[in-house]
Amino acid sequence: MPLDIDRYSHLSSPLQRWDPRLKIAALGIFIICIALLKTLPIAITALIIAAVILSFSNLPGHFVSHGMSGVVIFLLPFFLIMPFTYPGESKIYILGLPFAWEGFRIALLIFTKAVAIVLCSFSIFGSSRFDVSMIALQRLKCPKIMTQMLLFTYRYTYTFLEEMKRMHTSMSVRGFIPRTNAYTLGTYGNFVGTLLVRSFERTERIYKAMLSKGYQGEFHSLVTFRANHNDWIKFLFIITAGTVLLVMDSRGTFAQAAQGWY
Amino acid sequence: MHISDGVLNAPVLVAGFAGTAVLAAATLRKMDLEEIPKVSVITAVFFVASLIKFPVGPTSIHLILNGLVGVVLGWRAFPAILLGLILQAILFGHGGVSVIGVNAIMLGGGALIAYMVWQLRHYVNISKKEIVFGALAGAAGVACSGIVLAVALLTTGEAFLGTVYYVLAVHIPIIIIEAAVVGSSAGFLNRVKPEILAGRVIKSPASS
Repeated sequence: MPLDIDRYSHLSSPLQRWDPRLKIAALGIFIICIALLKTLPIAITALIIAAVILSFSNLPGHFVSHGMSGVVIFLLPFFLIMPFTYPGESKIYILGLPFAWEGFRIALLIFTKAVAIVLCSFSIFGSSRFDVSMIALQRLKCPKIMTQMLLFTYRYTYTFLEEMKRMHTSMSVRGFIPRTNAYTLGTYGNFVGTLLVRSFERTERIYKAMLSKGYQGEFHSLVTFRANHNDWIKFLFIITAGTVLLVMDSRGTFAQAAQGWY
Repeated sequence: MHISDGVLNAPVLVAGFAGTAVLAAATLRKMDLEEIPKVSVITAVFFVASLIKFPVGPTSIHLILNGLVGVVLGWRAFPAILLGLILQAILFGHGGVSVIGVNAIMLGGGALIAYMVWQLRHYVNISKKEIVFGALAGAAGVACSGIVLAVALLTTGEAFLGTVYYVLAVHIPIIIIEAAVVGSSAGFLNRVKPEILAGRVIKSPASS
């Protein structure tokens, strides 16, 4: 499981060198633009742009594709459900079920937009260290309490993942095999409870340790941000691309007909 | 369980973010310094625990546990779930950046409802009420999430009607599983470390 999205943030590329504040702002706006698209050709254009942006980052293909597999699995049911449940008459029947092209178009649109957005979020968070991204978010006026909590949670996710693996090992050593029955459910309940109790006790130790090191509700960082001309050019380029796509989309460029519901 | 990018339309996404901002501001009020590490660390536990898979026939489903978040963190469950979703969107690379708002309402709203259900236990007097109300809270958390998801899909377009039936049908086994796991967890925590559970005393301190 690729939990560490920033595994390849040390690589050098136009994306990694981009000031994280401007990167988050520009690609964040671009993501919003993609989410608002309504026509398939424009969505495909957005997908191509997102792929080109990501290709600048030099992130290895297997790393990206691993993340994508989750999206694809999540979205596949739409291809099975939407075309067959779209309201209205249809002329095509597959296995006795009415197949509506409009439903298929919607499923394809959803899929394209989702993949494009995921590619963009890889570009944002795959190309900077996680803590740097969080500090950049804080500079972008994201509430301090949120970024702090995100950093904490991020840090301890790994600790508890290890803890959970240990507990799992000890359970299987004692002969526990998960099955579809009430016993498994009860055991999992106790498992989660134990994990909570352990971590709760740990939190208290962590908090005391932090207090003794002078924690007063703030994280100090040595990271400094500096935006140069190139950073701004990239920013403007992405923003323009997003805006042009949105305008073309709402004007119905390339769209054959007005789409009724969407 | 969460909705993916690209499905919902703009008004629903915007409503999701707006509602999340309001709920986050309301539930983050009067947060002590001490609570910041505590809520975040417990969020990490839930994040990890939601990776547990329960086998159902040939497949398996993930635990959601938003009901248990409500039972443990009370009102702070909302920011905790919001955090979990942001991390999930960032870390897994499975997307979800544009739908963080809607998902937070869906799962976090369910957690708040679960907390309310959990608090009702103070008004009844039965044996093992922590298990019973834990189970009810677990069921309520997932059921509310399912309803919010259905509403979000239907507001986006009537074309999703078929999908909504599918989603609601899928929720029935999830509700049963969550109820069992959360009930057993709540009972366990009540025996082992009752101070973790949220809202222990509201009215009659003598009875507990």
